[in-house]
Amino acid sequence: MADIVMAYGASHAPMMTADPESAPDAQAENFFGALETVREKAAAAGVQAVVMMSGEHFSNFFYDNLPQIVIGLGEGHVGPREKWLKVPEVLVPGEPGLASHLLAETIAAGFQPALSHKMVADHGFMTVYYKLDPQMRLPMVPIVMNCTQPPLMTLRHAYDFGAAVGDAIRSYPGLERVALCAAGGLSHFVGEPRVGDIDEEFDRWFLKQLESDAPPELLDMPNDELMEAGNGTGEVRSWVALAGAMRGHAAKALVYEPIYEWINGMGVVTYDPDPVGAPA
Amino acid sequence: MSLYQLQQCVYNYLRTLEAVEAGSPVPTLSTSGYELNEEEQRALKTGDVGAMYAMGIHPVIINGYCRAMGYRRADYRELLENKNTEPKRKTRWQTS
Repeated sequence: MADIVMAYGASHAPMMTADPESAPDAQAENFFGALETVREKAAAAGVQAVVMMSGEHFSNFFYDNLPQIVIGLGEGHVGPREKWLKVPEVLVPGEPGLASHLLAETIAAGFQPALSHKMVADHGFMTVYYKLDPQMRLPMVPIVMNCTQPPLMTLRHAYDFGAAVGDAIRSYPGLERVALCAAGGLSHFVGEPRVGDIDEEFDRWFLKQLESDAPPELLDMPNDELMEAGNGTGEVRSWVALAGAMRGHAAKALVYEPIYEWINGMGVVTYDPDPVGAPA
Repeated sequence: MSLYQLQQCVYNYLRTLEAVEAGSPVPTLSTSGYELNEEEQRALKTGDVGAMYAMGIHPVIINGYCRAMGYRRADYRELLENKNTEPKRKTRWQTS
């Protein structure tokens, strides 16, 4: 059975690859340094595939068909959609066996994810994936979550779905070492009068909630209250799903930098692959 | 007339732009084939971002449109600053 040997959440602001130099040097170094730590640990752990959860940006879906959750079953995923992202366009290898297992197991657990054999990996995936594997050869299972168009999943729903994803990965017999990544957030505002704002207070509070094992104070927050932290901040649903997958494992925020030049609160959180209380 | 049609028009235009090779002429937005009223057609043809926002086009589509029109980061904020926003309310993460 597979182990989740690397679990982390990371912000996916397009500017982190499209225009990284625009950020203050120290902030960029801190953020990229944390992602480099993740990359080194993943390489050392011998990760065979990554399951990535990210938000929808009207990259794969539109109002004619906009599912809440989609699992990418394809042999490969073209990405990035955005030419200006300064990430080379590639066919990211898929991991159909694992993806099919996740689909079947999460449905068995009571969820109704949609499926796609032709997923496009947009900046939501590619900015973070590119930092995890600059060669872009690591097989990926993309999971798209609707974090854009209400009605949206509650945070508790995201947490429970993530728990099902984590259980499904751990019951997959086809691989031994899998990474699980949440890409998106932290606070940001786009396409509205507050574009460019960052809610630093929310970001720091949210990271502390994750480090406190995602208590009800976080999971029971109404969607409209979360929206106060930014109309793009709902992408933290993927981070909350990650928390569900890694319940019982200690979370640690490696970095937080409010990078206004990237119009995004930029953070990285990792989870101990061993559960709390496990022998060292 | 139809928010769906309005958004679909912009969405399809953005998809068209993605296929344009570097150095090739950039096509203009066409409202032909979409059920739009006069004001909607005017907003789209003139690139009136404030009107698009006021009409209810999703902010993610607005953001994509502004980026395609050459705006970077938050520099299109000035186009939206006179638009009403919901009053902020007290949230559980606020300490002050």
